[in-house]
Formats: sequence, structure tokens, C-alpha cells
Amino acid sequence: MSDAAAWIVRVVFVAFLAATPFMVDAYWLNMAILALIYALVVYSITVLTGFAGLLSFGQAGFVGLGAYVYGVMTVKGVPPAAAAAWGVVLPTAVGFLLGLPAARLRGHYMAIGTLGFGVLVAQLLNNMVDVTRGPMGLLGIKSFGLDRVSWFYCVLAIAMAVLAALEHVDRRTFLGVVLKSVKYDEISAAACGIGVFGVKLLAFSAAAFLAGSCGVLLAAYMRFLTPDLFLSAESFRYLMMAVVGGVGSATGALISALILTGIPEALRAFGETNVRLLVYGLMVLFVLWFLPGGIGGLLERLIGPRRKRRRSATAQAAPKGDAVAGRAS
Amino acid sequence: MTHPVLQLTGVSKRFGGVQALQDIDLVGRAGEVHGLIGPNGAGKSTLIACITGVNRIDAGEIRLRGNRIESLPAHRRARLGIARTFQKIRLAQQLTVFENVAAGLAARRFARASGWWSMLAPLSSARIAEPVEQALLASGIADLADETVASLPYGKRHFVELARNLVAEPDVILLDEPASGLTDDERERLSVLVRQLARRGTLVILVEHDLDLVGRSCDTVTVIEHGRLIFNGAPAEAQENEAVIRAYLGSAKLARNA
Repeated sequence: MSDAAAWIVRVVFVAFLAATPFMVDAYWLNMAILALIYALVVYSITVLTGFAGLLSFGQAGFVGLGAYVYGVMTVKGVPPAAAAAWGVVLPTAVGFLLGLPAARLRGHYMAIGTLGFGVLVAQLLNNMVDVTRGPMGLLGIKSFGLDRVSWFYCVLAIAMAVLAALEHVDRRTFLGVVLKSVKYDEISAAACGIGVFGVKLLAFSAAAFLAGSCGVLLAAYMRFLTPDLFLSAESFRYLMMAVVGGVGSATGALISALILTGIPEALRAFGETNVRLLVYGLMVLFVLWFLPGGIGGLLERLIGPRRKRRRSATAQAAPKGDAVAGRAS
Repeated sequence: MTHPVLQLTGVSKRFGGVQALQDIDLVGRAGEVHGLIGPNGAGKSTLIACITGVNRIDAGEIRLRGNRIESLPAHRRARLGIARTFQKIRLAQQLTVFENVAAGLAARRFARASGWWSMLAPLSSARIAEPVEQALLASGIADLADETVASLPYGKRHFVELARNLVAEPDVILLDEPASGLTDDERERLSVLVRQLARRGTLVILVEHDLDLVGRSCDTVTVIEHGRLIFNGAPAEAQENEAVIRAYLGSAKLARNA
């Protein structure tokens, strides 16, 4: 597909999303807002796993941390804007600190380490009743006084902005190359002068930042929190979204967050609440079998080209072989 | 007198019960092509790994321009000007040739603290695209810039690794069997490239089995066997040295019998 056609697809997609409030009722608009907020934590997996090749089973912990920091602070009378800033900064700082040991672990060791963190946060939220009110739930969270349609456009703007930033970093910047070099081969990355540990720490912190932001938005939108929103099972739900989206594709992550939030709700209309996990599982299996690249990989094939041709005059001027080879023969 | 670019003194490395390297001395000067040869399992690749920081040495000193580097991690040594290729090529298969070579710029960019702030520089910006394209051109693979490495024949991948080294403008380049799997034309291009590098003042350390290529390209040869240095000197003398002949005839006989 040509570049122009790919752009048309993008514009139609964004226009379609922007028209949502005019097409659906309040219930589905609510689901769309939640899906767009959850897209942020799925993006965090895009950064962590897709770009840097790290695996976290504890992203729900960062979401919960962000949500409860925002929630508890507004309940105590801190202005929402300041509480939101803390709700983003604190998980990022915790992510950095957790990254110091975790980024030294490899593969499944890191996954288990982060799982431990997720469980720890869920337990703390449940048991620090004085602060979080535990299983009774946190009520009276202040927010920004937006109506539902405004919320939709705000979270849509945030989701699209982060999407654009991630796609830019992934495809067009030196940082993208640095991250992916670490993902594909740490030894050769180090031989290139890339500080593998530093890059992992950066990815880990950035992912905690995105997950914390997700938590803040969730708390500010829902204005009611319970610890079971942030159990480890949620971490796996986010991972499933990332896998279906095609880990590493931010666009796939967004679409997957929308679809996988929507489908269980559509099924709920049939009164079959337990079917949702079955659908998740089947979709993941389906993707692994038939679409190893996930939704993102499919998009790539349909509206690629993935690699922007950016040959300069020097590269085009080079004949087959080159000056050196010419002299050699 | 100026320091040699690279100087190894008494380098030893042991893996469990195996003494991989024993008391190796080596002096590499700017603009020199230094052959590192020896039979299979002699410790050539281990020595490369010790110089580049993949493995830590147990004893001895490694100096780069007079400064000790043996306790630095691999990425720090790369930033100080040591580049290498791998015996078994290590490139990001799914990335393009351009992206793989651009990764080599990290050594130069992160050598300064400001490197971290310029990570968001677009790949198309002049400070990234220009050096990368020059390196691609010098390695003879400019026409492959947008291909993924996975789609390239094996021989071409050697040149991608080389370009990735060139772009870092290192003082020392260690080539670990760069000629394996190359066609005759590619071998020729490789040896020309090696000479060009040396003329620019780079120390090239060439690990090679192809004695012909070593004889033509190298100014100095270091021969190791069973982790010990058995010869150091001019390539012509190496071919007459008794210990070297014994080491190589042994393996040649084995090769004939196999």
C-alpha cells in the first residue's frame, strides 16, 4: 500500500475513534474511556518488552501505586493536579529503584521478580487499611470536574500522543535503535558501546511512568478504588493485550486494548460473565497460532512499509559494489 | 616514546579447570595490522573476549593508550575506542543494515555525557545518517542500507559488522575470523579495507585461520597455542619458526585425517 493510502487509513481510524461519543450510549462510552486509559499500561509493555526485550509480570503494581497515590492524596485534600503529579512521579521512582536489582535479572527471573513486586503492592493496598481503607474501597476521590465526553477526548488525546511518541521513538530515533540492540543481543550491544544496564533501567522507569499515569487517570476517572483492581491477574490481562496487539507495536497495543476491553463487555450483555476469560484465552491462542506478529504485525503487512525508505543522495549514488571494491578488483 | 595503542602484559584467564590463557604479552601500535593466529582452541577468541571486556582476566594488565582498562565493563571499553566483530556474527537480524550500523555510533555518542540527551536524534539527521552512510559506502554495502540483516547472505553480514565498527572510528579494531564464509572477491575487499584502516592509524587485530590472508595483510603476527604465546614477530619469520610449524602441521595432519 502506498504511503498516501496508509495515511488515509490512519486518518479514518482517528476520525472513527473521535466520532465514538456520537455513535454509542453512555455505557459504551464509559468502556471506550477505560480502554483508552488501559492502553497506557499496555504501551508500558510495548516499551518494556517490545523495545527493550524485558518481561514484567508486575505492571498492575505500578498502576495500583499511581491510582492510590492520586486517590489517597485527593481524599486528604491535595489539589488534583498536584496529586496527579505525585501519582506519576512516585511509581516512576519506584520503577527506577526496582529496576536497580530487576534489570540485572534475565528473562524469566526478571518476570518472577516483578511478579513479586505486583503481589507486594496488591497486599499493601489491601492491608494498609488506615491509608487505603483496604477492601472497603477508597471513596471520595476528587477529580478535574470533566463530563464524560470531555474525559473521552482527553484520554483519546493522551493515548494518541503517547502512540505517536512511541512510534516515533521506535522507527525514527537513535534511541529506538539503542533499545532494540539491547533486546536482540546484549553482548553485541555492549560491544557497540551501549550500556546495557542503563538502557534497561531507562526502559523500566519509562514503563513505570506509563503504568503510573494509567493508574492516575483510572483513579481520577472512576473516583472509586478497590485493591482487587490491581491484583496480579490484571498484570496478565495487560500482557495478553500486549501479545494480541503484537508486542512492540504501539498501534497494535491501542487497538488490542480497545478490542479486548470491548469484547468481554459485549459478551456480558449475554449474561455470560465467565465467558470473558475463555475469549481472552482463545484470542491469545488464535493470535499465537495464526498471527505471530499480533495486530501490529498484521497492520504492518497491510499498511506497511515498516522501513521508511530514507536513502540519501550518497547512498543512491553508490553503484553496486562500491569504490573500495572497484579499486580492489 | 609514545605508548603503544594496546598493550597486554602477563594476561591470564582460567575457566574452571582449564587454563585458557597463560601469561600473554602483546603490543599493538597505531597503524599496524596484527595477526593473531593459532590452532583451534588455542585461546584466540578468549583473548579477544578479554581485551573487549566480555571476559574479565584473572591476572595481568591491559592498557589502552597507556591507561589500564582490564577492570572496565565492555561498553566502557567500546567507548574508549575498541571495536570488534564476532566469530559467529552477532547482529540484530530483524533490524535493517542501516539500523545495525547506526548502533555502532553509540560508542562515540555515549563517550560524552551529552550522548544521553541526544538519544532522541532522528536517524535521518545528518549527524547519524552521514557517518552511517560513509561507513556503508566504505564497506561496499551502501545499496543494502534498507534491507534487514536476516535477508542478507552470510558473507555480506561480515561487512555489516565491519561497517558497524568503522562508524565508531575506533583506535583498535579486533576482527575475529572475518574471512570465514567469504567469496574470493569479498576476501579481497576485506584485505583492502584492513589496509585502509591501518593507513588511517587504526590498530587492526586480525584473528584468522587463512594463513595466506595473514601473510599478505599483517605487519606482525602473534601465535598462540594452548593459551600460551609461542611466537611474536614478522609473518615471514613465523612461517619458518619451528614451534609455529609444529603447531600448524599438527592441526594440518589432523585436518587431512578427518
